[in-house]
Amino acid sequence: MIPILGLAAGVILGLVFHPTVPLLLQPYLPIAVVAALDAVFGGARARLDGLFDAKVFVISFVSNVVVAALIVFLGDQLGVGAQLSTAVVVVLGIRIFGNAAAIRRHLFRA
Amino acid sequence: MTLTPRGGGPRSMGSSLLDHVLAETLDPAYQQAADARAARERAAAEAGQPLPDPRRRRWRGQLLVALVLAIAGLLAAITYDQASAGAKGRQAVREALVGDIDHETSTADDLSGQLAALRTRVDRTRDEALRASAVGQLALDRLAAAEGAAAAVGVTGPGLKVTLADAQANADSDPVGGSTAPSSGGVVRDSDVQLVVNALWAAGAEAVSVDGQRLGPTSTIRTAGEAILVDFWPVSSPYEVSAVGDPDTLSQKFLADPQVDALAVVSQSYGLRFEFAKEDHLSLPAATPSELHFAVPVPPAAGTPAPSPRSGG
Repeated sequence: MIPILGLAAGVILGLVFHPTVPLLLQPYLPIAVVAALDAVFGGARARLDGLFDAKVFVISFVSNVVVAALIVFLGDQLGVGAQLSTAVVVVLGIRIFGNAAAIRRHLFRA
Repeated sequence: MTLTPRGGGPRSMGSSLLDHVLAETLDPAYQQAADARAARERAAAEAGQPLPDPRRRRWRGQLLVALVLAIAGLLAAITYDQASAGAKGRQAVREALVGDIDHETSTADDLSGQLAALRTRVDRTRDEALRASAVGQLALDRLAAAEGAAAAVGVTGPGLKVTLADAQANADSDPVGGSTAPSSGGVVRDSDVQLVVNALWAAGAEAVSVDGQRLGPTSTIRTAGEAILVDFWPVSSPYEVSAVGDPDTLSQKFLADPQVDALAVVSQSYGLRFEFAKEDHLSLPAATPSELHFAVPVPPAAGTPAPSPRSGG
């Protein structure tokens, strides 16, 4: 319950206070959100599998966000930023999809 | 959780990579952590030691997870905010630019209207002053001829009206993809307009205008970006070229021009509209007189002071 409240609080905070992000970081926000989504879905599925571990979740979240942003940053420096962000989105998208399917199997037994 | 064996067998690397990505959607760290926890608990149970208080650990873990989820929500909200703000900002900037263009265009129209009114006043005053004397009368006649040749005065008369227009966009061209414009072959170029105008001059036209923009001795017809400029004034398809002159001679000589023939063939094969019609009454405005920036009129022999170089008319 508390985690869900945290998520809601984060969303409300963001929508109410309109925090500004440094211009340098702005291009990496969408990819960071996709990475965060992957970690969150992974955590939800692990919880349903009975394997959830707070430490693993926190570490996977932070490393996911940072690594995804770093990969795209590196790609930008090398001139393949668009392709690398596509690669990140594809891989993370497949994982999100797979985890969502597992969650669905847990919830609906189908 | 099912795990397929990695990259084994004769399968290609690409498909095994895909298998791997598709099968291992859950972070293996969760499994490892669960195994480690189970092992710890087993070891503690075997050693007979009490387990560390699981209540407190769970409480801390939940708080940590809540914090991380709050960060995730914040991240998503900021990203959403920025994406929507970007779209709104672009829209606002675009509207502001369109407004600016409209405003400046109307200002330019106002100013050119003022200029025309002032010019007519200057001309009228000058004519009245000159008409008083015989020498002035002579000068007035010569001035009238010069003004006619320089397209400084509007004219009316019979003539020929030539219409050139871009080809219609293909019916099956994609309206969503932004290519409402016809293919590059179906667009009238500045050289086509130049060709028509030159053919009309050669056919004996006395005055020519393109889309209501009168051509003077120093007028230009050229392309800037995707627009055709006549004397730096943008004109658009359909281009109406009006020429004052004897309609019969004009049309005869215009049609006899081999370049016009070539243009007719080209327009037929690319779907351009290329028509001409004799008109009994054409009204052509005055051209914008070219301003003299460096030229100074030769001072008259007597000691009268030379007029300033920028005095118009």
